[in-house]
Amino acid sequence: MFREISKKTAILFVSIMLVSAVLLAGCGKKAEPENSATSAPSAAETNAPDDSSAKDSGKLVVYAALNEDDIVQIQKQFKADTGIDIEYLRLSGPGEASTRIVAEKNSPKADIMVGGSVEFYDALGQQGLLEKYSSPNAQGLDATFIDPNGYWQGWYMGVLGIVINTDRFNKELAPKGVQEPKTWDDLLDPHYKGLFITSNPATAGGGYIFVADQLFRLGEQKGWEYLQKLNENVHHYTPGAVDGIKLTATGEFVAAMSWAHDIVKTAKQGYPIKVIVPDDTAFEVGGAAIVKGGPNTENAKKFIDWLLTKPVQEMNSKSSNRYSVRKDVAPPEGMIKLEDVKLVQYDRAKAAEMKADVVKKFTEMIGSK
Amino acid sequence: MNSLQMTVISTITCTVLAFVFAYAIARLDVPLKGLFKFITLLPIVSPPFIVALSYILLFGRQGLVTKQLFGLNIDIYGWQGLWVVQTITFFPYAYAVIYGVLKTTSVNLEYAAYNLGASRWQVFKDVFFPLCRPGIAGGALISAMSILADFGNPIVIGGNFNVLPTEAYMQMVGFFDLPAAAMLSTYLLVPALGIFIINRRWVGKRSYITVTGKETSLPPYPIHRFVKWSIFAFCIFVSAFVLAVYGVLFYGAFAKTWGYDWSFTLKNLHYVFAKGTEITNSIKFALISSLAAAVFSLLLAYIVQRKQVGINRFLDFLAILPGAVPGIFLGLGFAMAFNEKPFMLTGTSAIMILALMFWNLPTCYSSSLAGLQQIGTSLEEASVNLGAGNFKTFKSILLPLLSGPFISGLVVSFLRSVTCLSVVIFIYSASTSVGTISILSLVQNGEWGGASAFTVVLISIAFAVLAATKLFFRNQGKSYDL
Repeated sequence: MFREISKKTAILFVSIMLVSAVLLAGCGKKAEPENSATSAPSAAETNAPDDSSAKDSGKLVVYAALNEDDIVQIQKQFKADTGIDIEYLRLSGPGEASTRIVAEKNSPKADIMVGGSVEFYDALGQQGLLEKYSSPNAQGLDATFIDPNGYWQGWYMGVLGIVINTDRFNKELAPKGVQEPKTWDDLLDPHYKGLFITSNPATAGGGYIFVADQLFRLGEQKGWEYLQKLNENVHHYTPGAVDGIKLTATGEFVAAMSWAHDIVKTAKQGYPIKVIVPDDTAFEVGGAAIVKGGPNTENAKKFIDWLLTKPVQEMNSKSSNRYSVRKDVAPPEGMIKLEDVKLVQYDRAKAAEMKADVVKKFTEMIGSK
Repeated sequence: MNSLQMTVISTITCTVLAFVFAYAIARLDVPLKGLFKFITLLPIVSPPFIVALSYILLFGRQGLVTKQLFGLNIDIYGWQGLWVVQTITFFPYAYAVIYGVLKTTSVNLEYAAYNLGASRWQVFKDVFFPLCRPGIAGGALISAMSILADFGNPIVIGGNFNVLPTEAYMQMVGFFDLPAAAMLSTYLLVPALGIFIINRRWVGKRSYITVTGKETSLPPYPIHRFVKWSIFAFCIFVSAFVLAVYGVLFYGAFAKTWGYDWSFTLKNLHYVFAKGTEITNSIKFALISSLAAAVFSLLLAYIVQRKQVGINRFLDFLAILPGAVPGIFLGLGFAMAFNEKPFMLTGTSAIMILALMFWNLPTCYSSSLAGLQQIGTSLEEASVNLGAGNFKTFKSILLPLLSGPFISGLVVSFLRSVTCLSVVIFIYSASTSVGTISILSLVQNGEWGGASAFTVVLISIAFAVLAATKLFFRNQGKSYDL
């Protein structure tokens, strides 16, 4: 009841603010003619292609939750293969990309959302913001990479790993007789107290997958006990999954949990860090989907087909260190073979379903720290 | 509760720091004033997330200063670290307002007090300080609002210490719960309103007029040597701190691997050359939006302070309001509001400029208002009596007198627009992307060297533009202080 009312009040408040913003915006323009004069031509310029965008516009607007160099490479190769120009917007994560798509739902600007774990795509699909499409090239792929509802397409895979700073580890922990961690349980060693960081499941996709990993691995009750014990060692929870890698690379912390492919990437820059993929690790399926009502839906379908071809899958594995969804593509350099990774029984549907409750419980748990 | 405590303690330290700096620069005859002025601009010009990396490197648990130099093992993640970082980040905003006022405060009253036999302390307490009140209040207000709405610092350095903006961000990105996020950010308006009311009460209806048109220009009354040099030493200490942070950033721009291998390289600069459009966009949007905000807020302040219209108080609050909303929500609000006819602005330059303009409004407005409160109405009355119209009076009497606060507002707005990330993150499009977006991409790519190089270039360009405008104004015969 209270929540209902305050939500209404909140929405009312926001609307008042926005209305006044619009009103003031009008005044602002009058007060400063230069402002409207300068912006008007560019407004027309950006809107023009939208109006003329019929079926075959030779263009594709992509919201990419990928690394800059990965999306640049995709843009180049897609143009070379199909002649279609990609106009991309790099966003810092699937959460941000989703938020944009939700905010723009009355007049979608994007055709494709690509990158980031498929859990985010499920949420968008349920809100009716994605276009159903199943690519002919998806035949023969493992069922894990296919959305039963038909909204998204899995096109890469990543596994969780542990990063350790070898300099600090050898200097501080090895003399105390601590072995390099091989399993998630090794992280409970009290020697890691204050030296280990991981990400917050509320904001980081990887952070949540890690938590779910433990619940699937140990079962509900023991899983929570594990998280509670680990919490003793965790210095703090970072907002993004990759943040831990930076802080471990510069020696601020000794160990962190993050995506194995991102750890390898940073290691290649010359930092004294090392990736360990423990047993019973969890994985993410990286998604791609067509935004419903986008300006170039036909080209978007071509993009999904293209993404699943062998050369493109090979290219992406090489540049991003992520595993391909195709069985005929070799694992990325510097990463262990997927066959050698012992994956946990990860129930994606259940993970998505219990997310809200788990995150809530988790937040309460660390709140009492 | 976290948010409130944080805001209170950071605002106090910000205001004190700002006041000391403003006093040293405006009133004292000490060397290195140029350096101090520079120090008050630097923190405004830099995106918080990249500076936070420097803080961690310097003062973190393996920090160059804390561990290497002093052998300390302090933990900067949490409220203490956040306090220090926010103080350094936001004291320049308070400084801009306070300095604008201090510079124009006439020393006549002080001389009068000394002639009547008052002690230095009495003069400071009973004459000088009360006259600074609108400036201090305006400065404190603007930094309080910024601290309350600050998102970048808490997310990097806060550790597990959550404040309202980071909570709201979690709701939005973690749960896609836009209504809950909106609700949390409206909660921000409650303390904001509180701060605002306290502020306006404190300034009150008293008169702060010292610009009367009858000044003689006397040099400031000299203060005690000991006090003077302690203030100087304090400023040096703060400056050294800020310089160290930016020194690391600058050095990092030319280092092989950020924070690990410090050997020299130029390769990081390659990232910058590929992004010409983003840099020009940054400068263009910042110039137009800050100019618009400065002009608009001057008119607004004039209406609120001089013309007794019925909705004054509401207008007054409205002008300050955008400062209390975290930039990220301001941007998201714009994205949602302007995505439907007749306001189809998504993806255009117009929306970027408008959003930045609103974001800058509180800064410019506070500075204009504080300035206006000091100027007696007698000059305007004289002008009107001599037959000049309202507009003419405004243009030829008030405008020249207000050029100080006006320009300091403009400069601050320009600098913070160039390096603004939060406001634009949900509204930029492929053709309107800006420099800070590229920096964020580089940071998230793990290319910290490239990100530092980009930041250094962006800061240099911003200062170059400032220097150019300063030169331009000087040639026009209107010199002003940066």
